[in-house]
Order: sequence, then C-alpha cells, then structure tokens
Amino acid sequence: MRHNKPAVVGAALAAALALAACAPQAPADPDEGGSGATAGDDTLTIATTTDVVNYNPLIGNSRSDYWVTNLMYPHLLSIADDGTKEASLATDWGYVDETTGFYEIRDDFTWSDGEPLTADDVAWTLNAVKEDAPAGTFYGQMANFESAEAVSPTRVEVRLTQPDTSVIEEIGFWGNVVPQHVFEPEGSVAQFANDGSDGWVSAGPYLLTDVQPGQSYTLERVEEYPLVEGGTPVPAQVVYRVYPDVNTEILALQSGEVDVIANALPPAQVEQLRDTEGIEVAEVPGLGYAHMVYNMDHPDLAKTEVRQALAHAADYETIREVVLQGQAVSTGSSPLMPVLSQYYDDSVTEYEFDPELSRSLMEEAGYTAGSDGMFPVTFRLLYSLQDSVTSQWAQLVKDSAAEAGIAIELQGLERNTYLAKTDEGDYDIYAGNFAIMDDPVTNFTLSYLPDGAINYTHVDDPELTELVTQASRTDGDEKVELMREAAKIVHEQVYDNVMYTQNLYVAHSSEWDGFVVKPSELLSIVSAESVAAAHRVSE
Amino acid sequence: MPLALFILRRLGRGVFTIWFAVTVTFLLLRLLPGDPALAVASTNMTEEARAALLVQYGLDKPLFVQYVLYLGELLRGNLGVSFTQSVPVLDVLLHRLPWTLLLTATALGLTVLVGIPLGVLAASAKGRAWDRVVQVVGVTGQSLFVPSVGIVLLFVFGLTLGWLPIGGAYDQGVYGVEWYGSVLSHLVLPAVSLTLVQLGPYVLTMRATLIDALGEDYVTLARANGLTSRRILWKHALRNALLPATTLIGLQLGFLVGGAVLTETVFAYPGIGRGIYEAVVQLDFPVLQGAFLLLAATVVAANMLTDIAYGFLDPRVKAS
Repeated sequence: MRHNKPAVVGAALAAALALAACAPQAPADPDEGGSGATAGDDTLTIATTTDVVNYNPLIGNSRSDYWVTNLMYPHLLSIADDGTKEASLATDWGYVDETTGFYEIRDDFTWSDGEPLTADDVAWTLNAVKEDAPAGTFYGQMANFESAEAVSPTRVEVRLTQPDTSVIEEIGFWGNVVPQHVFEPEGSVAQFANDGSDGWVSAGPYLLTDVQPGQSYTLERVEEYPLVEGGTPVPAQVVYRVYPDVNTEILALQSGEVDVIANALPPAQVEQLRDTEGIEVAEVPGLGYAHMVYNMDHPDLAKTEVRQALAHAADYETIREVVLQGQAVSTGSSPLMPVLSQYYDDSVTEYEFDPELSRSLMEEAGYTAGSDGMFPVTFRLLYSLQDSVTSQWAQLVKDSAAEAGIAIELQGLERNTYLAKTDEGDYDIYAGNFAIMDDPVTNFTLSYLPDGAINYTHVDDPELTELVTQASRTDGDEKVELMREAAKIVHEQVYDNVMYTQNLYVAHSSEWDGFVVKPSELLSIVSAESVAAAHRVSE
Repeated sequence: MPLALFILRRLGRGVFTIWFAVTVTFLLLRLLPGDPALAVASTNMTEEARAALLVQYGLDKPLFVQYVLYLGELLRGNLGVSFTQSVPVLDVLLHRLPWTLLLTATALGLTVLVGIPLGVLAASAKGRAWDRVVQVVGVTGQSLFVPSVGIVLLFVFGLTLGWLPIGGAYDQGVYGVEWYGSVLSHLVLPAVSLTLVQLGPYVLTMRATLIDALGEDYVTLARANGLTSRRILWKHALRNALLPATTLIGLQLGFLVGGAVLTETVFAYPGIGRGIYEAVVQLDFPVLQGAFLLLAATVVAANMLTDIAYGFLDPRVKAS
C-alpha cells in the first residue's frame, strides 16, 4: 500500500494547529492585578465535587456556586458559631420602627472596575430580588420585605410589609450584594447568567478570571479587600478544582494536587485523615440538624401517640456513635439546637429509646399487636440515597422500630425523585437534614406554620402558629421565651423528630494555615475572609 | 446499486435514527420522576416562584406543544438554553466536546493499535500458550467495569506511585509545551481505563475472524505458492479479517461514548460525559437533550462512515 505522504503531513499539521489553538496563553504580566507588600505569591487550590452552575449569586444554589461567588459578591452580615450575626459589609443594622429596618455599610468597599460599592448597590439588589424572584435561597427570606431605599451613600432603609424581627438579619446573612451598574442593564436578575462574557466585577477578595467547566475555576487576587488584615488577600490566586466525589478529593489532597477540601468529610474518613501526615483536620460547628418527620396526612400518623411511639422506637445514641462515629450531638429532640445557645432549653430532653414504652403508646392509640408481636401498621420511610449518613441510619431506625412492633419499609431514592416525592407529600416518614437553621423564628415559620415551604409534617397547630407569629414581632428575652414554648409543643406533639446536629470536619494541607473557621459547610474554612487570610506555613 | 444511491440511503437512515433518538430522549426526560424547578431551587422556594420557573423553562405547556417547539428550534440550529446555567446549550457542549473527542479518539486508537497485534498473536499461535494468555486477557477485559478499573488505576498510579495526576484535563498555570505535557499526563489514566474495557471484544473478534481467514482456500493456495507465513498472515489473511473488525469499531463507538460518561466522571475529566452526569443531577433537560443529540449524531455519523467505507472495501455490500 502506498501512503499519501502530503495528506498525512497535512493532517498532522492540522492536528498540531488545532491543539495549539487550545493551549492557554501565558499571562503577559504575572504581577498584573497588583499585590500588596504583605501578600504572598502562592496559589491556594481547593477541591469541590460540583461545577459552578450559576455565576449569578442571586440564583445560585449549589455549594460550589456559593463558594466561588462569595469570593466576589459580599454579604452584609456574617455569622458566629452560635448563629448570631456579625458585621461584614454592614457595620450596624437593626430597626428604626416595627416595619422599618436599616443597614449601615462600610465606605471602603470598591468594585474591581473602580466603581465604589455604595448603599445604592445594596438597595438595588434587595429591590431587584424582591421584584424578579430568583430561585435562590435569598428570595426565600423576603416574604415580609416590601422595598429598600438608599438614604445616604452608607445607609439603606428597608420597609417591611409587617413587623418581623428576623428579616433584617436573615436577608443580611443570606443575600449577596451585586453591582447595580453591571446587573441592572441585563434585565431580570432571575435570568441574568453573569457568565463572564464581558468579564466579572468583584468587591470580594478575588476575581474570577478563568473557567474550565468540569475542571477548574481560577480567581485572581484583587488589590484591596478591607476585611483582611493588611487590606490585601494573601494567596495571589485561588483555584477551585472539580473532583467526582469526596474520596477522590482525599486522594488529591494526599497526593498534593490540592491544598483544601471544601466539602465536609464523611465521618468514617475523619479519624484516618487526622492520623495522616501532612494533613490537618479542622472542626467546623454545625448549624443544622438531621431529622425525621411524620406525615400527619396519614391517618395513623395523625395520632399523637403513634408519633410518640415512633419517636421512642429509635436508638439515637447508637446512631450517633455508630453511624456518625461520635461526631454529632443530641439536640434534646428539639429544633432549638445547643449551638443556638441563646435559645437552647436544656429542660427539653431527648426521646428515650424505649421499645416497651412505644408498645404501650401504640396500644393507647388503639392498636393490638399480632401473634408475631407486630402492630398492624407499616410506615414508608423516604430518604435520599445520595445522603450516605441517612442511608445508614435509616436501616437502624427500621430495626429498632421492629423491636417496638412497628414495621418500617425503607424507600431510598435518587435525589430528584426524593425531592419530588417530598414535594408531593408522598411519604409516611421523611428523613433528611438541613445545613443551616440559624434563625429559630424563620425555621419554625417555614417548618411548622401551615403555609411553610418545608412543613413536611403538614402540621397546622393554632397555638404553635400564634406563638411563632408573636415571636416574629418581638425581640430579646420575650422572643426567646416564646420560641422555647413553641419548641416544647413541637417536642411534645412530635411535629418534628430532630435527631442530632452533626459536627463537621474539613481537611487541608498542613503546609497551609491562617484559616478562619466559620460554622456550617457553606462557610467552614472557605469563606471570603478565611481564604483571603490563608497562608503557607513556611512564610 | 450506484454508490451515490447507497450513500443517500445511508444518510436517510442516519437522519431517521437521529430523529428517533431525539424524540425518545425528549420523552424519557419528561417521564423521569422529579421536577427541574425543585432540582435547582432552594427548599424555601414559594409556589409562585416555582410556577414562574416552570414558565421560564417552557415546562408549563402541554407535552406535544413542547415537542413541536423543541423540534422547530432544533431545525433552526437552536439547542435551547440551559435551565441551570442560563446560557446557550451549544456553548455548554462546545466547551466540553474537544475533551471527549480527545479521550474517545485516543482510546479508540489504542484499542486498534493494541488489539490488532494481540488478535494476530493469538490467531497465529492458536491453541498454544500465547493464544490462551490473550484469550484470558480478552475475556477479563470484557468483564471489566470502567469505575472499578479507574479507581484501581487512580490509587496505584495517582496516589501510591504519584506518577500521574488524580483528575482534570491539565494543570493550572502551565503554558506552551508544558501544557501539552500536562494534557498528555492527564489523558493517560482515563484513556487506559477506557481502552482496557474496550479491548477484550476487539481482540477476541480479531482472533476469531483471523482464524477463520487462515482456514480459507486462498491461504492454502498462498502457502502452496511458497509465500511465507508472515506474509500470508499480515498481507492476505489480516486484510480480510479487518472487515468484521471495522464493523466492530463502528459498533463499539456507542459503547465508547457510554464508557466516556463513566470514565469522565471517575477522573473528573471535563468532557461531555461529565457534563451529562451533572445535567442528570440537576435535571437540566436542554443540556441533556443537546448532549444526547450530539452523541447520537456522532455515533450515527461514525457508523455511516463505517458503512460507506465497508461499501468501498467490499463491493458485495453495495450490491445488497
């Protein structure tokens, strides 16, 4: 066979040219973008398990969305370990009267294109979110928000539709501020992709400069970031790299490919990584909880005694010790977790695992056990197979309930099916968890009031509703007392069975230090302040 | 049958296949349990916000209307806008396509380069030790599962030996020649994984067809004419045995594409496969429809080319 040499050479040349076109160009000036005298030249590489889906922080909902966009778009408020809010972009906040709130913001924030960040940006962001209703968590906090107005370059006043003593802090914590001069010309904030077609504009410590979908997100340091000591972020560059799962992230950390794993570690990996040379494990306070919810639309579960019987038929201590390897604390079966120290009520104690008590309660509810010791009811427990911890304890719940004569049928489902069935109320028992339940009034309103978006129990208890409504209009000790009363009702009636708050652990290379630990997986050691302050140990 | 008519018929069949794949994908996605609005929004989304999202996605319309609108846009070359990213689907796919092409082409090339010699080796040593070794390798290869192979390779070559990277397509901050080296080092493990699971069927088919070819009369005649065994094997028998192997390559493309989804997921390789995985999690219908259309078109095109090449190689095919 004779080879057509010109064709082969041509094809090879074409392939080489095609590949050459793919190769990234070296930056013209590596120091472009500026670096302060105290800032380092290092790159901090962080592992994540998902791509950034949305660069618009008002829409974004995935972990990676939060982590990357939080480095560019500031929040008004941050959060302390006990759930109380702290200053961030806002230096002061509160209420002028019952239906008017306010934020005082710093005057030293600047967008990376040179425009100052003012109260106009804050007011415009709040009003745009209310008007366009983007599908993120931010909009969900705005039920009682009416409008915002910049009354000076550093003060925003917020008008409410009704008294609400939580809304100012909740909006301040959950919402990012975006640049009005960039977002406003693009129309609805619910549909603006902010995909960087014309580059991004940042008022955080970093600016997104390169996106390789499925692989990495590169952010370069901005010159001035007032919330870090010295005013300039330390790492010159932050790279988020995408891996398929936490196990691969751990391999990458061990091999030195990444410096930080942003995702919380599975409980089984924590001890092993603590003993691994070159790796540090940081404990991050949890601000959420895992729970089981009993669907009161089910005639059997509408009976208080049956819910109580189920609550006493689970061995919570064993679940925390075996499945979570001791990395969780009891909340006293209350949604007012110990971490919310201001609200926590230690007089409310955990449902005791007592199969005999469960049997008595079932008999009280009118059921008689058969010759096999089982009552003539079966409940379907719904959980997500993507949640490995819940998948493990669901089996324990089934086994311990069987000791009390109650049959539970497990239904582990793929996440989207699980969400759909949850939404339709197609379950008897729902098992799941919340990442952040920082404000009790907001939590109770969403979880236990008739129109609550996450009222999975389908509870409608006028006394509970009245207490929560009153609490939303009061403040201080009175608010705390009302919420404690409400929590007692939830506990006694088993409107929710809160099982534990999980302590979270994240891992980083021991070559890096200086991280600022914040509660929850969303912030942990990858908040804007933490990333900007991180530095190599040798420096 | 004239060649032009032969090609035209294959083209027609290809277009029909793509339409069928598009329709099935469209319907299957909408039969999936789950709601795209729930998949992208937060848990505290109001009913109004959810309804607005469904309107924005066009999912509020009857299924038939959605289908007609989708086909209409498709004929205009518009694949739609990603539900979750709010950017055109074509942009999403074009970002990822080069990596999938690089991975699958490399794996296909390796399969052929390694598969042919192994098949020849086994056929020429029929019944002897090498034959048995190759058969064991072939059968084992058929039973391999991409994620299992991938994890073992990652553990051995990525972590324990530290020779090759754990994931991604290249390192950040490398440019020029170094970038090509980085791309190559990141390609090794995914390509080897995909090759290992593809190799078995190819080697076994190659072996079987070559053994058949070696039993043909023209081989006996060649031997009688005094041609060397090597010449008979490589020059005459192998060329005839390559015809079924060529068909197999076309058929394997479908499996290769399927394997790429798993391989890219295991190795965090930023191709279409990894994109499909993420779009499934997010119920991003437009991206999934676009990705499956692209993959179906690729497989159909490759099969068509195989058919046409076969037509050139074997005139009996055109006649049939």
